[in-house]
Amino acid sequence: MAPALNRSATLPSAPCAQQRRRRAAPLVVLPAFAMSLLLSMARGDIDYPKDIKPLFRIHCTPCHGALKQKSGLRLDTVELMIKGGKSGPALQRGDAGKSPLIARMSTGDLKERMPPEHEGEPFSESEIRRVREWIQAGAPAPTDEQPEADPSEHWAFRPQTRPAPPMTRDPAWLKNPIDAFIAREHEAHSLTHQPEAGRPILLRRLHLDLVGLPPTAGEMAAAERDPSPDWYERTVERLLEDPRHGERWARHWMDIWRYSDWWGLGDQLRNSQKHIWHWRDWIVESLNADLPYDEMIRQMLAADELYPNDLSKLRASGYLARNFFLFNRNQWLEETVEHVSKGLLGLTLNCAKCHDHKYDPFSQEDFYRMRAFFEPYHVRLDGLPGEADLARDGIPRAYDGWPDNPTYRFVRGQENNPDKANPLAPGIPSVLTFSPLRIQAVTLPNEAWEPERRPWVLAGHRAAAQSKIEPLAAALEKAQAKLQRLQRTDAPTATNAIAEAQGELRLAESTLALAQTEFTSVERRSESMQASWARKDSRNPEINPSRAPVEIDANHAAVRAERDVALAKARHGLATAELKRLQAAADKKDSVEKDLKKAQEALDKAQQQFAAPVGKDESYARLPGALWTPTRFLDSTKDDPTVAFQPKSTGRRKALAEWITDARNPLTARVAVNHLWNRHLGTPLVATVFDFGRKSPPPIHRELIDWLACELIDSGWSLKHLHRLIVNSATYRMNSSVAGAELNGAKDPDNLRWWRRSPIRLEAQVVRDSMLSMAGILDLTLGGPSVASSDQAASTRRSLYFYHSNNDRNLFLTTFDEANVKECYRREQTIVPQQALALSNSRLALDAAAQIATRLSHREESGANHPMDDEAFIRSAFEAVLGFAAGNAEVAQSQLALDAWRKYPEITDSAGTEDPARAHLIWALINHNDFVTLR
Amino acid sequence: MTNRIQPSLSSGCLRRRTFLADVGMGFTGLALGAMLQRDGLASTDVWSPATGQPHRTPKAKSVIWLFMNGGISHMESFDPKPMLTKYAGKTIAETPFADVQNPKKLALERLVVPDANGNQRNTLFPLQIGFKQHGKSGIEVSDWFPHVARNVDRLAIVRSLWTTDSNHGAQTQFHSGRHQNDGDFPTLGAWVHYGLGSLNENLPQFISMGTREYWNKRDGHYLGPAHDAVPLRIDPSNPLDFGRPERPFSSDAQRIGMDLIQRLNGLRGVEYPQDPAIAARVASYELAFRMQQSVPGVVDFSKETEETKALYGLDQPHCRDFGMQLLAARRFVERGVRFIQIQHGGGGAGAWDAHGGLKKNHTTNALAVDQPIGGLLEDLDRRGLLDETLVIFATEFGRTPGTQGSDGRDHHIFGFTVWMAGGGLKRGVVHGATDEIGFHATENRHYVTDIHATLLHQLGLDSRKLEIPGRKRLEIDHGKPIQEIIA
Repeated sequence: MAPALNRSATLPSAPCAQQRRRRAAPLVVLPAFAMSLLLSMARGDIDYPKDIKPLFRIHCTPCHGALKQKSGLRLDTVELMIKGGKSGPALQRGDAGKSPLIARMSTGDLKERMPPEHEGEPFSESEIRRVREWIQAGAPAPTDEQPEADPSEHWAFRPQTRPAPPMTRDPAWLKNPIDAFIAREHEAHSLTHQPEAGRPILLRRLHLDLVGLPPTAGEMAAAERDPSPDWYERTVERLLEDPRHGERWARHWMDIWRYSDWWGLGDQLRNSQKHIWHWRDWIVESLNADLPYDEMIRQMLAADELYPNDLSKLRASGYLARNFFLFNRNQWLEETVEHVSKGLLGLTLNCAKCHDHKYDPFSQEDFYRMRAFFEPYHVRLDGLPGEADLARDGIPRAYDGWPDNPTYRFVRGQENNPDKANPLAPGIPSVLTFSPLRIQAVTLPNEAWEPERRPWVLAGHRAAAQSKIEPLAAALEKAQAKLQRLQRTDAPTATNAIAEAQGELRLAESTLALAQTEFTSVERRSESMQASWARKDSRNPEINPSRAPVEIDANHAAVRAERDVALAKARHGLATAELKRLQAAADKKDSVEKDLKKAQEALDKAQQQFAAPVGKDESYARLPGALWTPTRFLDSTKDDPTVAFQPKSTGRRKALAEWITDARNPLTARVAVNHLWNRHLGTPLVATVFDFGRKSPPPIHRELIDWLACELIDSGWSLKHLHRLIVNSATYRMNSSVAGAELNGAKDPDNLRWWRRSPIRLEAQVVRDSMLSMAGILDLTLGGPSVASSDQAASTRRSLYFYHSNNDRNLFLTTFDEANVKECYRREQTIVPQQALALSNSRLALDAAAQIATRLSHREESGANHPMDDEAFIRSAFEAVLGFAAGNAEVAQSQLALDAWRKYPEITDSAGTEDPARAHLIWALINHNDFVTLR
Repeated sequence: MTNRIQPSLSSGCLRRRTFLADVGMGFTGLALGAMLQRDGLASTDVWSPATGQPHRTPKAKSVIWLFMNGGISHMESFDPKPMLTKYAGKTIAETPFADVQNPKKLALERLVVPDANGNQRNTLFPLQIGFKQHGKSGIEVSDWFPHVARNVDRLAIVRSLWTTDSNHGAQTQFHSGRHQNDGDFPTLGAWVHYGLGSLNENLPQFISMGTREYWNKRDGHYLGPAHDAVPLRIDPSNPLDFGRPERPFSSDAQRIGMDLIQRLNGLRGVEYPQDPAIAARVASYELAFRMQQSVPGVVDFSKETEETKALYGLDQPHCRDFGMQLLAARRFVERGVRFIQIQHGGGGAGAWDAHGGLKKNHTTNALAVDQPIGGLLEDLDRRGLLDETLVIFATEFGRTPGTQGSDGRDHHIFGFTVWMAGGGLKRGVVHGATDEIGFHATENRHYVTDIHATLLHQLGLDSRKLEIPGRKRLEIDHGKPIQEIIA
């Protein structure tokens, strides 16, 4: 906690793992453990478990322990050290000089030294001294010292089996089996659970948690009046069916799956993809439809292989499209491996990029084998019906463009040092293998790799070309009218104007002609493309392998039509240059003459080309149905060669997705339920949500994780089933207060065993959305393109729709720890002064306060259309804004403040607010701790 | 820890330990500490978080971190190389210094983003400006920096820096020690903020002014956003984000509201006793309100004399903006702010990025910064502040001895210059050197984190003791203090 409070910073209830550790200030009282430690130190003993063993764990046991036994040597117990390896004992009790251990750790000869160079940090002098003293003292160690367990026995690598919910002493408390697991821990540690929270708190909790918005006054009144015992469960069902639920939980998954709108430098796209919001919409829709979690993963990783022609499902592969990085393929793929592993599997495979994993049984090859699944994939934009211009819309998606690219291990992780002698095939770490990987290439339907065949594509191009003609025809008429008008006047000064108008007319004519030829060209090219498909699709292409006359004619016509366009373009260029000459000032004549000459030459050239006979193999630019996203791996100043669409996909990602979503995979479901638990209850069951490996602290509630994981799988991977289970549990419904539970506080101050609910600092999006919602101005439109930064101030859309990338962040949201797009497995929950400034000074908060005050005063929702008195206003304001009933002291303080505000003459009417004092009161409540807190 | 004061409603201030006890955190911290030890997570020594106290007696209290975005030419600023003029137009291979391009010597470069820039430039480009010896030390400084040159006897110049990123990711690298491909790591300012925290509870302790490019916008990273710099503008009417009400709201009315907020939060403690979030929030509101009151006053220069303002060049349009930032920096230092980071030069990848037209580029940029920096050094010294304030002048890399295009220089990572002043460092010294054409750092070579280590050393911090479990730092991340320039 110490650094967190340096500047009154981090909320202690739910920090990320490393912050928890940071709070480990040895502060006030010493518990028994620390006391014994002090005593042993006072006796002058060297404490092997505390002082020596951790050194071996850092420097030695990754290679000489359970994970690996290089030279047959293990150093994870003293007995094993004495036993030694191939070259004999490593340690001799009482004689450091005869212990090779000391010699090897202290030698200056880098060939001899342990750990070897690049394999680990060398021992420091003081560490060597400590080990030496310990050996001299006889290498004392606890008699029951146990060797490290076999890594494959690590709990998270073993299959999950459904544990039976334990029997507990107080079955009346249990709402579902979750509570039995929780209660067992309570009983084992003599903890008593806190009572259920009051109804208003529960209602607010459910609303904010499940839909991300507070209940309305009407909903609160209805809940308060509801006499039925199952009001809570019915509320849960109502909220899970609310489309706002998908938006709320989409934002959680967007954190974990690293959603980001595109960013780059200026207009240059460097990261992620344009129109990536389609993936966001897919997440929202999938959650609302309760698309099974395993199916979501399959679609995100391999929709292009599983549903190659289903654009709606292809939106899911935005998950991979988001990793696009313009300049460096290695960085791109390394991030992909890292976050597929962390986010879906809870593995830190990234730690094995440069060397074998130091904690888990993953070799460096395993990192690159995982990379090999992704080696062929690239990113493209697929056109949508009704929009031929991919700059305006399209589905960013994955496809296998490089089926044959090899994967090499990079020696020490250095990309300029690939081990080309040993190309690596896709594969998964052996400890996690339960059946052979089946990788089978997928033959794609034509429309998937020739997307221009999709029925709307050619029609879209035609419509786009056609739509340009009409306005140009109108412009031509205008130019004609202008010329006629001028010609009717007799004024001698009109000569120049007439000449200019004639020039404009010629330009308008050539512009229209260009658009018309372009339209014709689209028509001819469409016909030719269709003719070529007709042959290819005929049942027996061998019978007629060469092009039929009709197809040759169509090709010829398309080439001709393109030449027409080239000619029309040149004519248009000339008309432009001629008009410029007419309009040019005297001192600019030289340069316009030059331009005119160039335009004339261009026209001559186009005419020559036009006249040339059409070659047999001459072709034309095919109308695209999709475009690959160009990279610049080779040269940052120009695009790399196009990566073509292939008729086959390697099937690698499909195989990976099948392995990840196999019910036998020991990690996928456990990791998912841990994310759900964390985001429902503020702290996870496994503290390191992205690392379920051997380095993660053993979870207290392991059986609960397994039980939840089995529920997820057995329910057909239904996330709503898990939401329902968790929020209906008695554990979820507890009060967050510690009042009356001092004994619990002493035994389990961090609430590791869930004897109460831990309050949560609301996410940035919920803070903003709640204000707009209470003000009655939240725009509940679902989906669509992200709201640009410049439009956000005026927007009342939900915050998840705001443009959010590494570069573009909304200032207000950022202040409240908006997700970091590069990695956000848990949200930060800081408390910093900037948040106070944002809530007290932002236009957003001040406007919302005034609107909420007006709404409340008129009780719009309850229908009683008359202003209420102050006390009634104060009480309903507390309920509406904070979700609890004001006590008398709170009412009195609020009344005093209202009176004080009204004494100031300048507080009459600042911004059309009918009662500024009441607006100020709402403002104060928005700034109350409990407004930004999920109690 | 006890020197750090936490605001509270009732008594105005509250000692930190009491505060923790009051909010029930003593127990939590302790229990976790014990657990970590049990799990062997606390490494070999018992790990403890930063206490807010230095690890050794500090020589300096505050840092003013001046950073020239884009990469300033070391040869045309603080490491003049007449050989460039002598061999101008010759390729490096034709000069006696051909060996500088020996591929082995170029190996440290890590090309992140293949680019049109960041390449070898073979034809030597003459110095674009003259240089002279200055001060008692006789150190040579280019004529683009007459005001800094006047202060040369106050400087400790390190002419032997190197880095690895030949792209502007080197900006991130200079601030955090890490290459942008390695992920995001806390910057030096964040470490100092984490390690030392507050001298003054009315002001943010880590302030950033000027232009920060997108890859270099944040500081805290794994230390948390609480350790990001607070961005400030030199505009007394609006210096802070959300620093004043965006709708009419009198300060009296706000004060009434603030009192109510704090009282209501206090009342909430009846039902939720020992809720550390309530206490932290009360404290954050108190600090926010005082920041809102104090910051505009610090950036309001009406009480500064005309002489002082002129010293910083506030009367000169070409350097007025930067001068105001530096004058504000001095005023922040006087009020006990720990770390003031000022980055100069926006646009593209940074204003100093002179791939073409170096002469014009550096003339303009030097004009913008020289007088304010000279003024700052003099002003700090005459007020007795320079002894406890470290001023650093840095940039992400130098520029190539060879020409890029017809009149520019490219990025150059193999040798460049940084200087520091005050804070217990030697005055009027040069440390390290590049070869005769300014290509490689040859004597007393220093990676950028040696600058971090030197600063931390002077602030009394040991970066190893700040390390966070689970966030292992490498040797190179820590760097080594440059003992030769420490007084």
